This record gives sequence, structure tokens and C-alpha cells, in this order.
Amino acid sequence: MLKKTYDWIDERLGVTPIWRDIADHEVPAHVNPANKMSAFIYCFGGLTFLIITTQIISGMFLAMYYVPDIINAYKSVKYITDEVLLGNIVRGMHFWGASLVIIMMFLHMLRVFFTGSYKAPRELNWVVGVLIFAVVMGFGFTGYLLPWDQKAYWATAVGAKIAGSVPFIGKYIQTLLVGGPDLGALTLTRFFAIHVFFLPAALLVLLGLHFFMIRKQGIAGPL
Amino acid sequence: MADQSGKERIPGVPRYRKPKDMPTNGTEPFFPNFLLKEWIVGSVLLVAFILWIVFNPVELAAVADPSDTSFIPVPDWYFLFLYQLLKYIPGDYVWLGTVVIPGIAMTLLALAPWLDRRKARHPFKRPIATGAMIVAVIFMAWLTREAEVQHEAALAKNPPKKKVELPKDTAIVDQADPAAKTFGTSCASCHGAELKGQLGPALLGIGNKYTPEQIEEIIKNGKPPGMPGGLVKGDDAKKLAEWLGKQKQK
Repeated sequence: MLKKTYDWIDERLGVTPIWRDIADHEVPAHVNPANKMSAFIYCFGGLTFLIITTQIISGMFLAMYYVPDIINAYKSVKYITDEVLLGNIVRGMHFWGASLVIIMMFLHMLRVFFTGSYKAPRELNWVVGVLIFAVVMGFGFTGYLLPWDQKAYWATAVGAKIAGSVPFIGKYIQTLLVGGPDLGALTLTRFFAIHVFFLPAALLVLLGLHFFMIRKQGIAGPL
Repeated sequence: MADQSGKERIPGVPRYRKPKDMPTNGTEPFFPNFLLKEWIVGSVLLVAFILWIVFNPVELAAVADPSDTSFIPVPDWYFLFLYQLLKYIPGDYVWLGTVVIPGIAMTLLALAPWLDRRKARHPFKRPIATGAMIVAVIFMAWLTREAEVQHEAALAKNPPKKKVELPKDTAIVDQADPAAKTFGTSCASCHGAELKGQLGPALLGIGNKYTPEQIEEIIKNGKPPGMPGGLVKGDDAKKLAEWLGKQKQK
């Protein structure tokens, strides 16, 4: 039954070549933690992606209750934390996950750097990785404001001021981010839009490129 | 291309099969064998992650208050090293710390494959790259630690203000009194038009704490750190103090 369904779809869409390209390949021995314990360092990239996935899912659930305006943002976060079933867990996942993504990404980056895996022909993938790093830091910066509590507000006030200190274009960047002279209602909606629309779109494109290049170029050989 | 599997695929066979005479040198199919092993590592991480979340509930600070400039701001931990870096750069050159140094660092990072072009990959065989990264990581860790220590010190020196609990009964006594008008012009900008406090503390129920004479003293001489003296003078001060003395709430 399952096979028949698969064949039926395959006949029409040609799934087999696609899924072969994605998943049907040999993995070299030196990255397999089952062969050698120390190979677990090659898992950091996959683990980063795993935590990013939990971030996307927990973020989607948070968006069911979160209201991005200055009157309700704080109340909705409080409601998620105190009232919603498992709300504190989902919020905890999203909050701690942000740090975990950065830790795992950092470890992954160090692994790639120290094993020299960025060398030819994988330079482009390294550059895409650096861009992913920047996007993830952007997630951290824009996400911090959303609960609209004192910590969030004042940390972002400092961040906006730092953006404003860029020579020549600083004022414009600050206005673009903050939406006016003072941190307020517009800032919150802007950060929300950046956090849930702009950055995820950028991240998904970059991750797609990252994985595409891993498949194309293969994993770097053993040291 | 390092991936050899493409060549060894057997056409017409729906799944990759290793040719029988191919030596088994420890490689294995990505799906499902390798993915399962990676998933085991992943599930260990997820369990640890969930346990961490359960035992470390996220806190929500007080709601954002743009007028409370006494709050000591601190960015999330992964921005601390940047934040700390700025403290060592004098005000006029802050753009060095906000643009130039991080810009150079990010550019160097992105250009690493072109700066380090030799074939050698082992970290010990390219001491400059390895050394530079170790120094950078230590420097970032040190900056982060330094920021943390300084923040703790700042908090210890200037503990966050506890919100003064407002009395349950927030009715203002004798609002028709002419002194209420004096309050409106001279005191309300700090203590709030409804005496609920803004920059200065709330004055509801101040009559429980001080006698009118004591209040008059405070109006005349001020009260450190924030309250200036002499905003209201002479007879007006006396009347204002009497009126504030009447503000006895539960």
C-alpha cells in the first residue's frame, strides 16, 4: 500500500531522483561518532540545525499568543508564561534556545576553522556560514525587545544608540530600526517584523544554500 | 568532488547499494544509518535542553518604563563582548568600536579561506590561523567576563529600585485645597500629577510617614539624592506641607 502510493506519486513527480540527491549518499567514516567518539565534533552543525528547528517551532507557537504592541506585548508574554498550558516551557525553549543556537553555531564554526574545512573548494560555503552567523545575531538582537520588559527596553535602547554611532549613515540606520526619535510603538512592530519575517526568510535561503553546497562539495576528508 | 557515491550508483535500482566487491572502509549510507546516529546525539542534547528549561524558568522583568532612566542596561550575553569593547574607547571615537573593529573582524572571518590558502588543513600545520583564532576567542571570553563582573559591581553599587507599593486607598485628600495647585505646578513633574510618583517617589500616604513640619523641612532643604530644596518658598511651602501631611492613606 505504502509502496503503491509512493510509486503513484513518483510516476507523476519524479520524487526518487530528488530524494536520492538529498539523502542517498555515503558518509565518510571519519565523521561518524559511532566509529570514533571524537567524531562528535562533526555533529555540531547538525545540532545547530536541530536547535534552529526547535526555535522555528516554538516561535510559531509563541506567535499564537504574542501581540506586538506596547500595550499588550508584556501582558501577552506574561499570559504565555503564567496561564497558557506549557507556555512557560515553550517560552523557555525559545529563550534558552536562542543562547543554545549561538553556542552550537560558535562550536560548529570553530570546528570548521580548526580543521581547515573552509579551504578550497568550500570557500563559498564558509562565506554563507558567516552570513548565517550575522543573521542569527540579528535574531538575538531583535528578539530581545519583544517581551517589552525593562531588561529588553534598556538593552535595546543601548543597541539603538550603538547603531546610531555609525559615521554618516548611523542616524538613518537608527531611524530605520527605531522608527522615530524614541524607542516606542514603532520600534516594537519593526523588531517584530524583522524577527518573524525578514530574518527567517534570509535564514532559510542561506541554510538552503549551505546544505546545497555541502551536498555538492561533500564533507572535507579526514585531517 | 569528494563525494564518490554519485559514480557508484546503480541505474534503475531505487536505492543506493554498495557494490559487493567494494571494500568496507567504515563509510555508511546517510539515510537512514548515519542520520539515526546523529539523531541519537541530537536526542541526548534535546533531553539535556528540556531538563535545563524545566529547572531554569525564564523570568520577566517589570514592564518597560521609558521614564525610568536609573535602570542599568545590559545586552544579552552574546553581545557583551562588543558592549564591553565600547567601554574602552573614548566617546568621540566610539565608531571605531561599533563599526571599524567589528567590521574588520567580520571581514577577516569571511575572507579566512583566501587569507589561508595553503593546502595544509591540520591546525598544528597552520599556526598563524590557529593562533589568531585562539587569541580572538580568549579575547572575546575575557571581554565577556569583564562585562559581567562590571555589571555585577554596578548592580551592587546601585541596586535596582524596588517599586514602592502604592497604598490601597489612592484617593487624594482635599483636592480643592489651593496647595494642590502649588503641587501641580512645582512637584507634579517628578512626583506625578496624582501623587503616584514618576522620577520621584509616590507621595500618596506621605502623611503617615512625616509630620507637616518634617515635610516643610524637606521642601525647603531638599532630600538627597534627587529632591532639590527651595522649589516652593515661604508661606506656600507651609501650606503645601500641611496639605501633604493630610495625605494619610491605608
